[in-house]
Amino acid sequence: MTDTPIVEIRKGMKDFHGAVAISDIDFALAPGEIHALVGENGAGKSTLTKVIAGVHRLSSGKLYLDGHEVVFDSPADALARGLAMVYQENSMVPAMSVAQNIYLGDEKMFNGLRRLNIAAQQFLQKMNFTVNPTQNVAELGAAKRQMVEIARAVHHNARVIIFDEPTASLTPEEKHHFFGLLRRLRKEGVSIIFISHALEEALEISDRITVMRDGQIVDSGPAAEFDRARIVRGMIGRDLSNSAYADLHERDIRQRKAGRRVLSVENISMGAMVRNASFSVFAGQITGVFGLIGSGRTEMMKIVAGIYKRNTFHGGNIVLEGKRVRYRVPSPAVADGIIYVTEDRKTEGIFENMTIQENIQVGDTVATGHPWNVISTKQARELAQYWIDRLKIRAISSNARVIELSGGNQQKVVIAKALTKKPRIVIFDEPTRGVDVGAIQEIHQFIEELADEGIAVVVVSSYLPEIMVLSDRILVARQGQIVEEFSAHEADEEKIMFAAVH
Amino acid sequence: MKSGHDRQNGTRAPSPARRLRLTQEGIIVTITVVMFGAFAVFLPGFLSVGNLLTLLRSVSVLGILSVGMGVVVISRGIDLSMVATLAMGTAVAVVLAQPNPWFPQGLPFWQGALLGLLFVLIVTSATGLIIAYADLPAVFATLAMGYVIYGLGRSLFLSGEANYLPDDAGWVVYLGRGLFHGIPVSILCFIAVLVITEIILRKTAFGLFVYAMGDNPVAARSAGVPVRPITVVIYVFAGLVAYFAGLLTAGAVNNINTRIFNSTLIYDVLMVVVVGGIGLSGGKGSMKNVVLGTLLIGTLLNGMIIMNVSYIQQNLIKGVILLAAILADTIFNPRDEQTSQQGDI
Repeated sequence: MTDTPIVEIRKGMKDFHGAVAISDIDFALAPGEIHALVGENGAGKSTLTKVIAGVHRLSSGKLYLDGHEVVFDSPADALARGLAMVYQENSMVPAMSVAQNIYLGDEKMFNGLRRLNIAAQQFLQKMNFTVNPTQNVAELGAAKRQMVEIARAVHHNARVIIFDEPTASLTPEEKHHFFGLLRRLRKEGVSIIFISHALEEALEISDRITVMRDGQIVDSGPAAEFDRARIVRGMIGRDLSNSAYADLHERDIRQRKAGRRVLSVENISMGAMVRNASFSVFAGQITGVFGLIGSGRTEMMKIVAGIYKRNTFHGGNIVLEGKRVRYRVPSPAVADGIIYVTEDRKTEGIFENMTIQENIQVGDTVATGHPWNVISTKQARELAQYWIDRLKIRAISSNARVIELSGGNQQKVVIAKALTKKPRIVIFDEPTRGVDVGAIQEIHQFIEELADEGIAVVVVSSYLPEIMVLSDRILVARQGQIVEEFSAHEADEEKIMFAAVH
Repeated sequence: MKSGHDRQNGTRAPSPARRLRLTQEGIIVTITVVMFGAFAVFLPGFLSVGNLLTLLRSVSVLGILSVGMGVVVISRGIDLSMVATLAMGTAVAVVLAQPNPWFPQGLPFWQGALLGLLFVLIVTSATGLIIAYADLPAVFATLAMGYVIYGLGRSLFLSGEANYLPDDAGWVVYLGRGLFHGIPVSILCFIAVLVITEIILRKTAFGLFVYAMGDNPVAARSAGVPVRPITVVIYVFAGLVAYFAGLLTAGAVNNINTRIFNSTLIYDVLMVVVVGGIGLSGGKGSMKNVVLGTLLIGTLLNGMIIMNVSYIQQNLIKGVILLAAILADTIFNPRDEQTSQQGDI
């Protein structure tokens, strides 16, 4: 494979409104190779592949196709040149049949369904896919949908197919077939980029492996030279010297003793996302939960908080302070002192037309009152002032609208809103995502204070240093389960990442 | 440093939409004043006492309905069944007070009015339950419920379209047509409903929850707001307000004609709410906006009647204004779900 790379990026950089997503990218894809792309959430894998697929355009640097410089205007443009991407989320029309989906965007003026179905049948059989072309896509399982997506990419004569986490929704059996297909495609000269969290898969199937971290390529080479340890090292070996976590290693690990068992979750299940997850949370301690995207960590916590409902049958048990509970909506959970601080404050956290004061007032009113209670603006103002002082919310006044605040201050408002009544258990989901560096420290300090006060605290994060710096006890989620538990003493980044990937 | 968490600094500038929203209210006031002045100058009879009384009376029914609709829209809902509730609730009250199959003598009117109230409570609770617990979109649920309410009332209670008030309904006539120190009682009723509603919205937890649900339903639910019970109460409230407006209508013209269900009244109400500046995306606006919208639309409708604009042309004008108002609403109050998802970095 010494010929010119089919796709090449030199000195590639892409930023979104000043936030650099990837930089210094030198990437080459040889014809007929399977190239695995691994890295933590947010390492830049998706951005890199989307640049290749024509979704994003490089901010600087050059993209070469067959040795010629190209600029794609749109994904359709890239597709026309033979670059296809199979997304994590399905991009098919569920109400149409398999055949119609394969030929979508490629129809002639008059389409005979019969002719279309026959063509699709022949096409699918050629690839050894057992999918009925007349079936509606909505009725297909995850694996078969994946097959249709792939068939569509192949149909467009793609020479490069990019898969974003293709195996996440597949069973082992289906995975086996899928790998067979990849090998077959490779034999036909198709190049494949394969994003995965599953290191074993990457090692098994790929010819080359590229490891990304913080928007850069940190390691790349033939798969034969890689092993699991080398990949994990590349994924986590970050330089902390100039970040908010600079003092991580100097921090004296003062591990809080576990208080009474506040919450125990036994074998909860929900659909395909949470499968038999069990864990306990203790008072006066910070329990860190680490997991990659798709590990079900957020879903588990939302079940505890009553935002999602677990399976009606074999859904497992949740025991709060010795009492079995089952919440259908969040409000009884809030009344019982279970507080969930969302990871997505814009869509699930703040009331953006309201002021800081009103946001906090909503939380307070929910916690203390009946809908027909009279509410007092004066009281709300005092409460808001208390939280502004306590959390150091930087705003002109308590009457500033939340939408006008920075990410960190918005996050503080979300926290204040949730904590107006002293809770039993607080779950912070990604408490510092999109938060400025100064605010990170303040939020962390507040979380520590809560635990010192004897409240059971859970911190969910996909950012390892955050887990390491906060937790007294670390749980690792993977594929809808809690798979490992570490104490703060014994945990290090490598062990945690090892447990989180599969 | 770039990490998985994109960290941003600084405070954002005040959103342009907010500054514009203030002027949006200014625009409405200006248009109303200009239109009122123009009608007063160019339309003979517009400023006559008789016409101004008519204007106030017609405005009060429209305004009361808009108060109910306003609350629903603030909570990010919509209630297209209000006119059906208005017509059928009142008609049930009136019919039961006449000789009828169940009460051959006819009930005293106050008892009929209470049964009408019961009818309204039952049907609007059903609407609320369907929207809150079966999770149907409010537009379709209330559109369908409008026909259900109309059909129920027509088939169970009524024989004809026009139903005349009995003799012992003097207080309804007073509400609809009476004067209190020279001021139409109906406009006082409008003001009362307006003030009471504003107090509920401002001073009770319920009001706060209405705004919270309209602003961000997911956040409200997660925060522990009892979203579904509150939704039911909101639709019952809208129904009660519509029933009150119905009694006023009956009082003004001595009868209730159920054909009002087929009129464009519900769209006038929507127009008031949207033109007034209560965003259809919820969580914004207050009773002040209802007042502004009512004055603007009320003056416009009255002027068109005096100018003898044909019914068809009136509808055309109203349609264009409604469209323009919704268009302005989507510009001033964008629905933000589309912009909330940032690219995966």
